[in-house]
Amino acid sequence: MRTGVIGLILPPTFSFLEMMWRICPALAVGCTVVALVPPASPTPLLLAQLSGELGPFPGVLNVISGPASLVPILASQPGIQKVAFCGALEEGRALRRSLAGECAELGLALGTESLLLLTDTADIDSAVEGVVDAAWSDRGPGGLRLLIQESVWDEAMRRLQERMGRLRSGRGLDGAVDMGARGAAACDLVQRFVCEAQSQGAQVFQAGDVPSERPFCPPTLVSNLPPASPCAQVEVPWPVVVASPFRTAKEALLVANGTPRGGSASVWSERLGQALELGYGLQVGTVWINAHGLRDPSVPTGGCKESGCSWHGGPDGLYEYLRPSGTPAQLSCLSKNLNYDTFGLAVPSTLPAGPEIGPSPAPPYGLFVGGRFQAPGARSSRPIRDSSGNLHGYVAEGGAKDIRGAVEAAHQAFPGWAGQSPGARAALLWALAAALERRKSTLASRLERQGAELKAAEAEVELSARRLRAWGARVQAQGHTLQVAGLRGPVLRLREPLGVLAVVCPDEWPLLAFVSLLAPALAYGNTVVMVPSAACPLLALEVCQDMATVFPAGLANVVTGDRDHLTRCLALHQDVQAMWYFGSAQGSQFVEWASAGNLKPVWASRGCPRAWDQEAEGAGPELGLRAARTKALWLPMGD
Amino acid sequence: HDLSWISKIQVNHPAVLRRAEQIQARRTVKKEWQAAWLLKAVTFIDLTTLSGDDTSSNIQRLCYKAKYPIREDLLKALNMHDKGITTAAVCVYPARVCDAVKALKAAGCNIPVASVATGFPAGQTHLKTRLEEIRLAVEDGATEIDVVINRSLVLTGQWEALYDEIRQFRKACGEAHLKTILATGELGSLTNVYKASMIAMMAGSDFIKTSTGKETVNATFPVAIVMLRAIRDFFWKTGNKIGFKPAGGIRSAKDSLAWLSLVKEELGDEWLKPELFRIGASTLLSDIERQIYHHVTGRYAAYHDLPMS
Repeated sequence: MRTGVIGLILPPTFSFLEMMWRICPALAVGCTVVALVPPASPTPLLLAQLSGELGPFPGVLNVISGPASLVPILASQPGIQKVAFCGALEEGRALRRSLAGECAELGLALGTESLLLLTDTADIDSAVEGVVDAAWSDRGPGGLRLLIQESVWDEAMRRLQERMGRLRSGRGLDGAVDMGARGAAACDLVQRFVCEAQSQGAQVFQAGDVPSERPFCPPTLVSNLPPASPCAQVEVPWPVVVASPFRTAKEALLVANGTPRGGSASVWSERLGQALELGYGLQVGTVWINAHGLRDPSVPTGGCKESGCSWHGGPDGLYEYLRPSGTPAQLSCLSKNLNYDTFGLAVPSTLPAGPEIGPSPAPPYGLFVGGRFQAPGARSSRPIRDSSGNLHGYVAEGGAKDIRGAVEAAHQAFPGWAGQSPGARAALLWALAAALERRKSTLASRLERQGAELKAAEAEVELSARRLRAWGARVQAQGHTLQVAGLRGPVLRLREPLGVLAVVCPDEWPLLAFVSLLAPALAYGNTVVMVPSAACPLLALEVCQDMATVFPAGLANVVTGDRDHLTRCLALHQDVQAMWYFGSAQGSQFVEWASAGNLKPVWASRGCPRAWDQEAEGAGPELGLRAARTKALWLPMGD
Repeated sequence: HDLSWISKIQVNHPAVLRRAEQIQARRTVKKEWQAAWLLKAVTFIDLTTLSGDDTSSNIQRLCYKAKYPIREDLLKALNMHDKGITTAAVCVYPARVCDAVKALKAAGCNIPVASVATGFPAGQTHLKTRLEEIRLAVEDGATEIDVVINRSLVLTGQWEALYDEIRQFRKACGEAHLKTILATGELGSLTNVYKASMIAMMAGSDFIKTSTGKETVNATFPVAIVMLRAIRDFFWKTGNKIGFKPAGGIRSAKDSLAWLSLVKEELGDEWLKPELFRIGASTLLSDIERQIYHHVTGRYAAYHDLPMS
């Protein structure tokens, strides 16, 4: 089902193609678009005029030409259902913070830097042409980080410098130039970057036939910039290329994945095995093998980490403008007086209500972290009451230190789990389903104490086991091939795990919702840190007893405690790759605001209840889409 | 020497891994043939001790064990007590070479003493001191020298420089037998392993050795397959037979049998001699002795039944 009205925000230097790739899918699916473009470009206005002449639907494409200060105003208009922002990192962050709690969803496509990895078995001359395409032409969106294997460093640098000498820069519409200019602001940025790099000990080489007037900046090659220098942490501006060496392929992956940016990369190697290993290992949205900058509307283009997680092109590009049919549109949960600094900061202390009557219940559950039950850092526990007000049990009071430990344990378990074949993961999920069924009577009796009828409780347990099996069976194999016009060779659309997923479960359906969220996350290769239902976490902890024997350590971690406090810790954690929140409206707003820290994709319920027992909402394809991220792997062929 | 021998080589990693798995699965030896193979494996061992806390007492113990690797009565039961079964050599640090020579002479045994040299295990010292180490070890009485190559030359692709260095090691060794340790765990790729093996053989090594035993990854079947193929290619091109020594991580008797069958498959029976094949190990010998004890008596030995090394 289509989303509705899309607000599109384009950066000061955008290409016509980028604009079309964002507008056309939205229109094709049935949404209407309001685009905010910088005042210096008349092209979108012409486009809007053409669309207005087209037919009986005026207002399908609307274009406003205005300064960047209009961005927050457009984004917070009540009629807009989704804002697609394309531009710089800090503005994207600020937009994410200001849109927390508004009814519009946000899709971010940030940053323009890309990466080129040159191994010693590459065709160096062709790789140099790839560098030209990426950074020193009008096709490339931004600067380039170039990683060269040490044994071919001298050869590569020599060929690069030779090639730079032949580049020509001039007015963009002049038919005999390689690159144009992108405005005085871009030129200043380059100047500042180069001066800083030189002061930190880098060598800068500039060449090419470039007019010396203001807005033209020459192609620039920076080398010997140490990775720890501040210059190396920021995004590389156009048309600068920053070159660094690496010794082995393993080191190349560590260096390449060691930045917060995750847009696109190319791998240059004539050895198939090595190229594929590097391609699969890079944490980016698009990988080209022995090519750079190829684009096609049927191939999804997007990023991960701080490059934002919105996509254009391919099936993912269409999913951006759709939402699952049958689910209601997002409601606004904006509360203007939510204090982000104090939300969930302190845990309200709970004093015991009075002397305990009756037999004392079992000893308190610990936190389930790293494959076993551990005592919480705070050494305290909270009572859980059943539907008649009697004491049902005690669970641990988890805090910030416990969250940190849980996220670390999840990270340790992640490489092993992501490396398992889908069949092995399915086998573990089926084993957990079988264990759940063996435990049916205990689980059903606990559900009964929480107020469910026996029949309904048993049905809930059975449905949970069935869901585990279904997700185990639904796990996709690696990638499927897309057909791309104009390219000989396959393009693979891979679905890769996100990393560590933080999930805050809803209060209702304590067992079913827990399992329905756990299963797709694990099935797609993620490891999870879960905060179970606040009303009755005991069901989740019973499942943990089975997970302790069935799952490898650290795969699923369950932390109980004050929900707002734990939500705060998880939302602010820089090393959690995505977060799903099904709690209160205020919590949803906080989670969206806090995700601006590392720009993690967030799925928040905004306080709306969800029918977990219905197939569409509890086990629908939306869960599968959100549990993994896409990577496009281009494999041009020919010899 | 001819650098064109290494320029076109390609090694496919997944295919080598598959071959390595097959070798371990397809050639198993049982019963009296296993005992025979184990005794043969004993004659290939370079009994090694390379710890910071080596002193003359444990060197002496080691040398005696090298002369009498298997208990007398077990050998008598197998009718092998008069065949002169000893280990192939004893391998120690340069400072302990004198102790080892003395202990072996006292035991009345002419097993060669091998010394490690050239900044073992990392090799990150000046060339001058590295060459001096070799000369001093040879003076002390070591007749085999295990040198370590300079990994940074491999990783930066400086093959000529690597060749020159190993030639200098060869000259410093003089008459002593030269084993070149490639430290394959630090070379980055199987193609680099092949190229480094070729360069080492062209420069005059008598043996190429997989690793120092101190890296994170030591002797594994995939690197061994690549090195054995390099040895075979060198033999086809020049007619010279160069030896092979895996070291580090070989602890069980079953592993040693797999290594023997690997060499037999890739290179043939001529390489199954102590002059062309060695295994660098220290705890392997006790595991082989246990297996022999079990074969002879049918029972499993306790720790104190067999003499310490």
